[in-house]
Amino acid sequence: MRLVRLVSVLAAGVILGACGSAGGGGTTSGSSYAGKTIKLGAILSITGAGGVYGPQSRDGMKLAVDQINKSGGVNGAQIALSVTDDASDKAQSAQVAQTLIQQEQDLALLGPTLSNSAVAVHPLAETLKVPILAVSTTGIHIVPDCNFPQTTPCRYVFRDSLGEQTAIPDNIQSYASDGHPSTGVLLVAQDDKFSSDGGKIVQDTVGQYNINLLKTIKFNKGEADLSPYVTQAVALKPDVIFITSLGGIPAKIMVAARNQGWHGQFLGGNGFNTATVSKQAGDAGKGARSASAWYLGNSFPSNADFVKAYQAAYGKDPDQFGAQGYTAIKVLADAAKRANLTFTDLAGDRDKLRAAMETVNLPQTPLGPFQFTSNHDVKQTVWVIAMDGVGGFTLVHEIKAS
Amino acid sequence: MGQQILNAIFIGSIYALFAVGYTLVFGVLDILNLAHSAVFMLAAAVTYTLVVNHGQSFWLACALAIVAAALMGVVIEYVCLRPLRRRRAPPIAALISTIGLALIIVAAVEQGRPGTLFSWLWVDGANSVSLPAGTYPNPIWNLGGLTLEGTKLAVIPISIALMLLLGYVMRFTQVGRGLRAVAENPRAARLMGIDVDRMIMLTLIISSALGGLAGILFGVALGDISPYIGRDSVEVRGLAVIVLGGMGSVPGAVLGGYLLGAIEVLAVVLLGSNVRAGVAFAALFLMLVLRPQGLFGAQLRERL
Repeated sequence: MRLVRLVSVLAAGVILGACGSAGGGGTTSGSSYAGKTIKLGAILSITGAGGVYGPQSRDGMKLAVDQINKSGGVNGAQIALSVTDDASDKAQSAQVAQTLIQQEQDLALLGPTLSNSAVAVHPLAETLKVPILAVSTTGIHIVPDCNFPQTTPCRYVFRDSLGEQTAIPDNIQSYASDGHPSTGVLLVAQDDKFSSDGGKIVQDTVGQYNINLLKTIKFNKGEADLSPYVTQAVALKPDVIFITSLGGIPAKIMVAARNQGWHGQFLGGNGFNTATVSKQAGDAGKGARSASAWYLGNSFPSNADFVKAYQAAYGKDPDQFGAQGYTAIKVLADAAKRANLTFTDLAGDRDKLRAAMETVNLPQTPLGPFQFTSNHDVKQTVWVIAMDGVGGFTLVHEIKAS
Repeated sequence: MGQQILNAIFIGSIYALFAVGYTLVFGVLDILNLAHSAVFMLAAAVTYTLVVNHGQSFWLACALAIVAAALMGVVIEYVCLRPLRRRRAPPIAALISTIGLALIIVAAVEQGRPGTLFSWLWVDGANSVSLPAGTYPNPIWNLGGLTLEGTKLAVIPISIALMLLLGYVMRFTQVGRGLRAVAENPRAARLMGIDVDRMIMLTLIISSALGGLAGILFGVALGDISPYIGRDSVEVRGLAVIVLGGMGSVPGAVLGGYLLGAIEVLAVVLLGSNVRAGVAFAALFLMLVLRPQGLFGAQLRERL
């Protein structure tokens, strides 16, 4: 019986632990916004494969919400942000979105964390006419063609994360001019949109820089042991190994390849860009390059403030996902400020917010000066960074937005 | 190719060690203990957290993690199996209750982040982590074009020695005879004066300790410890192994483990990288069609 009780307590604990918290509250006076609440709903992967990224996005968002609310809100209205975990599951992600839109009646949504889930969530938001801002999705066909293969631009879908279509070619170009590699092997997770999109981009890009792709090795995310794939790649003795995958997989590949005595260059995508992966790869990852939307030491003035505030709030350095989450809230707050919201007509307000988002022009964000392109994608500086072998990154190149 | 053969033997050892625990419980109870993969993960997680968050030595952490895994065997018996057995519930009920316990264990570990209820158990949430370099010795040798990693090499003799030991215990000791008697016919065993509940408890303890050890070896050798390693890496493969080897047969599970490891690696080498899982399960399907009782099916009646 005691054991039964113990397990009951354990189960209760799990449920309690799983419950998140949402902000909200206070009022300030000044305009028709005063005393009102702007409800935002974020769909993030706190658990599952995307759990490496989602918590940082959440922390960045919550920091921005706190800062805005403490300094008087949006024209006096307070932001109430709810963060819901989609467990990195596409179907669950869509269910959460539906709830936030129809039951919670949120003004706008943020997320989801993974491109794989965005395929389900973004078309839903588009159909139900709710503005949604992607904060970490980097796959292809996120903006503007969220209903791919239909090519009609989605009007309600925006993205503040740097697409792999920009990042991977920038990274390859930068290494081609530094290292002049002639051969490469691509290791790509085939059962995930983000990873396979990244793989396609690598395949489409290498030719431009005279890199001969010797082999593309596909694997599945849930493989127990990646060694057989790494052995195959290493046996070809390439100059470069491209890795397009997420979670802990890039780090596992790096460790296995170094253990098998390969000394070449690792190049990758957004899956590299978090301290968790750099830390896990450790010494094996040293020098592994990727293009990032953000860099800890970037010289934008508002970045230093953001980093300081994040460190004070969470006791650790932010990463790209934290910076993008933080910026997303600032972007929505700026749009909401100018949207002339009524707080009575939800559909009308969602449409006004959408229109205002198109004209966001923030001179100061941790990502640098922020604007959307006509395709609702982010227009920003790209940072080519390399893992430092101890869980961080060093800057290699800065590529300004054209 | 030599390197790939090593890869196959290594992963085969892990599959075999994991599946032996699976099949042991099935042999005695006719029940699939689906919490086995969670125990596999829990032991790896406990090792990691004891080393990284509680500053214990690696060897002590391993020992304590195996004890924790064995204790989970007790929990599985008391919470998931015994109450149902008392009520004569069908085996499917036990299957569901073990799935439930597995989900609870995974969720508990997953919730472990700084400042939460489970931060003593795990603090990295959903992240996959590896033990810091230098925690345990991992010499790397290069022999005739082969890279030999200490941790991966160690897995092979440890697994084989344990499986031989288990085989010896089952066949030549009083306890082993008792377990086999319970597997054959619990009622007759009880009439012969064997404490059936005690034997079942012992089975779960041995099975969980072996599963836990497999988890530790997997987590250490592959540098991959997360709440999902049991579910993603060995759960379904473990089932495949015991079907291949013959449900309930310990030697079958050992052979099945190495066979699945070899099939998976051969699939990568010969047929290309994206068909590994498909080929492995096609082999399983073939086995079910051609020899439904598995490799060691002839011994099914005798089971253990």
